[in-house]
Amino acid sequence: MPQHDVLVIGAGLAGMRAALAAAEEGASVGVISKVHPVRSHSNAAQGGINAALNPEDSWESHAFDTIKGSDYLGDQDAIEIMCREAPQELLHLEHLGVTFHRNEEGKLGTRAFGGASAARTYYVADITGQAILHVLYEQLMKHSEVFRYEEWFTTALLQQDDGAMAGVVGRNIRDGSMELFPAKTVILASGGNGQVYNPTTNALVCTGDGIALAYRIGAPLMDMEMVQYHPTTLAGNGLLITEGARGEGAHLYNAEGERFMEKYAPNKMELASRDVVSRAEQTEINEGRGFPDGTVSLDITKVPRKRIHEALREIINVGRDFAGVDITREPIHIKPGNHYTMGGVKTDFEGRTPIAGLYAAGEVACVSVHGGNRLGANSLLDTLIFGRRAGQDAARYASDTGMPKPSYASLSAEQGAIEAIIRRERTGRRVSEIKAELGATMDKYAAVFREEDGLRTALEIVKRLQQEATTTATDDKGSVFNQDALGALELGYMLDNAELIVMGALERKESRGAQFRTDYPARDDEHWLKHINLSVNGEIPEVSYSDVTITQWQPEARTY
Amino acid sequence: MPDYTLKIRRYDPESGDAAYWQDFTVDLAPERSVLDGILRARDQEDGSLSIRCSCQAAICGSCGVRINGKSALACNTKLSDAAERAQRGGINNEATSNGAIVVEPMGNMPVLKDLIVDMDAVHWKKIQRVVPWLLPEGEPPEREYIVDAEAMIDVTQSMACIQCGACVSACLSMEVDPEFIGPAALAKAYRFVGDPRDAHHEDRLRDLAEDPHGIYDCTHCFACIEVCPKDVAPMSQIMRLRRRATGDYAIKDSNNGYGHEKAFVDIVERWGTLHEAQLLPRSFGDGSLVKGQTRPAAVKQLIDSAPAALRGLARGKVSPRKVLIHPKLPDQKEVRRIYEEIEGRDERIELNLYIVGEEGEGGADDKEPVQGESGAES
Amino acid sequence: MRVAYWPGCVSRGFTPELHGSMELVAPLLDIELIELDRANCCGAGVIAEHNQELVDTLNARTFAMAQRVAGSAGMMNICSTCQGAQSECQQRLDADDDYRRLINQHLRPEGLEYKRGDDWTNKNLLWLLVEEIGLEKLRERVVRPLEGLRVAPFYGCYIVRPTGRLGYGEFPDRDRYLEWVIDAVGATPVEYAGSHKCCGFPVITMNKATSLRQAGRHLADAIDADADCLVTPCPLCHLNLDLQQPDAAKFVERPLDIPVLHFPQMIGLALGLEPKELGMGKHVVRTRDVERKVAALAAV
Repeated sequence: MPQHDVLVIGAGLAGMRAALAAAEEGASVGVISKVHPVRSHSNAAQGGINAALNPEDSWESHAFDTIKGSDYLGDQDAIEIMCREAPQELLHLEHLGVTFHRNEEGKLGTRAFGGASAARTYYVADITGQAILHVLYEQLMKHSEVFRYEEWFTTALLQQDDGAMAGVVGRNIRDGSMELFPAKTVILASGGNGQVYNPTTNALVCTGDGIALAYRIGAPLMDMEMVQYHPTTLAGNGLLITEGARGEGAHLYNAEGERFMEKYAPNKMELASRDVVSRAEQTEINEGRGFPDGTVSLDITKVPRKRIHEALREIINVGRDFAGVDITREPIHIKPGNHYTMGGVKTDFEGRTPIAGLYAAGEVACVSVHGGNRLGANSLLDTLIFGRRAGQDAARYASDTGMPKPSYASLSAEQGAIEAIIRRERTGRRVSEIKAELGATMDKYAAVFREEDGLRTALEIVKRLQQEATTTATDDKGSVFNQDALGALELGYMLDNAELIVMGALERKESRGAQFRTDYPARDDEHWLKHINLSVNGEIPEVSYSDVTITQWQPEARTY
Repeated sequence: MPDYTLKIRRYDPESGDAAYWQDFTVDLAPERSVLDGILRARDQEDGSLSIRCSCQAAICGSCGVRINGKSALACNTKLSDAAERAQRGGINNEATSNGAIVVEPMGNMPVLKDLIVDMDAVHWKKIQRVVPWLLPEGEPPEREYIVDAEAMIDVTQSMACIQCGACVSACLSMEVDPEFIGPAALAKAYRFVGDPRDAHHEDRLRDLAEDPHGIYDCTHCFACIEVCPKDVAPMSQIMRLRRRATGDYAIKDSNNGYGHEKAFVDIVERWGTLHEAQLLPRSFGDGSLVKGQTRPAAVKQLIDSAPAALRGLARGKVSPRKVLIHPKLPDQKEVRRIYEEIEGRDERIELNLYIVGEEGEGGADDKEPVQGESGAES
Repeated sequence: MRVAYWPGCVSRGFTPELHGSMELVAPLLDIELIELDRANCCGAGVIAEHNQELVDTLNARTFAMAQRVAGSAGMMNICSTCQGAQSECQQRLDADDDYRRLINQHLRPEGLEYKRGDDWTNKNLLWLLVEEIGLEKLRERVVRPLEGLRVAPFYGCYIVRPTGRLGYGEFPDRDRYLEWVIDAVGATPVEYAGSHKCCGFPVITMNKATSLRQAGRHLADAIDADADCLVTPCPLCHLNLDLQQPDAAKFVERPLDIPVLHFPQMIGLALGLEPKELGMGKHVVRTRDVERKVAALAAV
């Protein structure tokens, strides 16, 4: 029976960073991931990672930009920690071997990014997330003492009688065997829930597993309504064009050839916060100044060709392979698209949830450093800083905790549940149909602009889909790589996430960050400068509120 | 929207049956990907159809397969392109496709189920073989390592590898020598050998040069370059490893890699064209004709290759005179001068098309304004 | 058609029958060969592995000489390896103006300069035949259709990959030309697994097993597909497939006995030339059976 002091669920940046940090503290560590670690969605972070490393820059400036970007919903104590620790974390990555871009002096070089008052984004071409992910995996290969359970799917979190963590149940995707993993601590690092929407920039694996698993055992979720729409995604398939493109000087135009950001953010223009730029684009499109395919255009030809090759190479490939556009020669059509989950499992800044021994870090978690809107190039930072802190704290916690003995009954219960799905005769819809309807529903009613009636409609649909999901069946009756059965489990996770996003959006009767309510178009600090927490409570989640921590930056009007 | 037929290689390890072909017809727009087609078939027809996939944007590296015989990512191969290729008749399709898009699991790796192969048994084992982590000297500096900007961009080409295995699948050396370390792992090795922060360049190179399945086991067939979805050009990275091994460290390996390169380069310097009769003995003697004909190990290799040489003589392909005398080019001194100019310098100049882009900036020379002299960056 | 002709080293070295047959075939196809007898070795990938600037300069030198051949339609080679090695250099030379100037500085003392030109090309005989001369014309000139002869094409890696560098954007069928030409001369193209794979020659001195297992496997596949012979436009492939064939047989542990023709030899046979004058007697694997078939055709 594989047992560990620290068991990490998910092997993207947050998960691998947590695992390495915990191992460094001397803990016995296991990492469970439903895909091989280098397939994780951290790969998709193209543009870079923020850190106030330059002597002319300051962590305070970084913190203020982050707080303003969050529309004052971020917790300032957590943001301070993230911004203070950013330079050291960046240097640590550099020392591990990340091939960060250098300036002419051979020192780390930066690029400009949205919502930032200084160029403090460090990068590897436009494959920053990929480069860091692969370097952390190099470290995992080096530190073979960290057990890797690659292609294992987590079906349940287990608690002891007193509510503390006891471990997890996992299914080996390769052969269908199931295993009980006793663990003193569990760190959720399983990423966001973008697949709840369609289209999305998120990978197929981003099904909100950790959020749903934590919610189901009673961990509170925070600010679930805060869903980021990225300003530059391809129409149709939702593929991401990095903010780095605008950072390097690309402009946005409507169909009338107008550089419309002049109207919305006269100072920062294309480099305003993402929520601001996405709303501007959607307004242009809604008011008839977009292209017939419901887009505006991003003109990267402004950037010198050699610089594009050096710094935006992936975008050349994306344009060529997925849109048939040579971005070095012509503009590309883009629109806002689902991108990032600001909300998630509520944690403190050591990654702790209210459940003893359960931690969360990265996109699955809500510390909250992103509040209502995440700044570009802060997501990698979040994963690394809070991944490391969670790993360290979990190792410490585990050092004076005994190994729990979770019951085998939970293993057989999980086995039984999956076998029931596999054995079930098809009486209803396919998983794919339900998923497609869910994605379209969320993109229609819980996107850039929201209002009460639409959200109510969405909630009804999600409730119906939850019912329908109980009758789906699998074609695959086998054990080896039964992706069909896992798809049914993921659908359950996604529907939980969707319900909670819509609940949060209905609850927050104001416009802040990514949540824009057309029926409540103003920010309302008096009533809503607070977090919305949702906890499991039978049929309808229980809503509670918590204060936003303000240290030194009082809320101000937000202009760019 | 047009219909596309996908002919997919199926295999269910639990059935006890052999692999078989199954056709699926999907109705999708031409610009959609082969992966979209496979997922459509899975979603609508048969949920047991298995393929690893995640990002759908050619960054996670999950969906490596062979499409019409060519290794590729399913997510960045358009249905229309694949169908056109299938119509044309692909190279070496195992199935008679009748115009269908043929999709098979990757090659050189065992198949686990349908389009899923065992990457651990081959690909990741080989990655592990090259000590795939940075080995700096001593404690790290307080701030960042100061390194040349170009060097970082240069290794970023191999850092761009997404470990999809397409090159491993296509590798023609691995097809006959499963022990070959292979294109992906050797590209990974260059990521460290090209990284100025790594302190073990020579050890790494010596290891890879001495391994009979290392850098000199690459047959230079370009298959990996052709299929790589990220322009990593693994074979070019292997050639750079060789260049560093011989040029920077003069590593005289027991596979004759050093000798072969030196022999070839020296012969062209001396005669201008290849004097084949001297290539073998010089190769076996680390580039030296004398060593190659006297050193015991070299002599043994010469004797081993003697039958081929004798066959050539017997057929009149090669005359004894030709073996002994090779004419120099009329202007051989010019070739020699070029060698001296370039080899006499300390630095090697390389133009990396990954960095500058593959198409030129300007048009033909006669359309360009005359410009002053300027040296290329080194 | 006048071409600046680069025969390569091997066609004048260990496969002299190649250069010889090319010289006989050229006039029959109205090709006037202006031989670049002062040009140097292409480097065959080995000098590229040693020093890129050196190999680029050496090939720029050859190109510059070819560009000076008055009235030529471009440069022609008869070796897949020369084609690939030279195309690689040409791509770099054409991609960057500064780099090209740097390379040209090395040529200046000799009074040479390589000029990037959109129209100037370097093509091997196979490409030139299909794209410039045309298969129609070839068919007209055929006096001895090689009916019944089953020919397995073997391209050589250097004219097949990487497609991006080798003009497949403009000419996507370059990986089918050998089949087309085999068909045009009246023979039957044989489909088999190895046609576009590697002969293994580049590692013959470094790893004989890897090298000859490849050659052996492709030869065996061609035999199993009932081919009478192989045809290759690459003399280096010819060395591994023909000269080394008896050794390759040991590595694949089965007898191999299949003749390998050079591309111009096959054309020559169809244009009425005799096996002996095409140097087929110089092959290691006897070409008797092919000759007998051809002789029988002549008798018809």
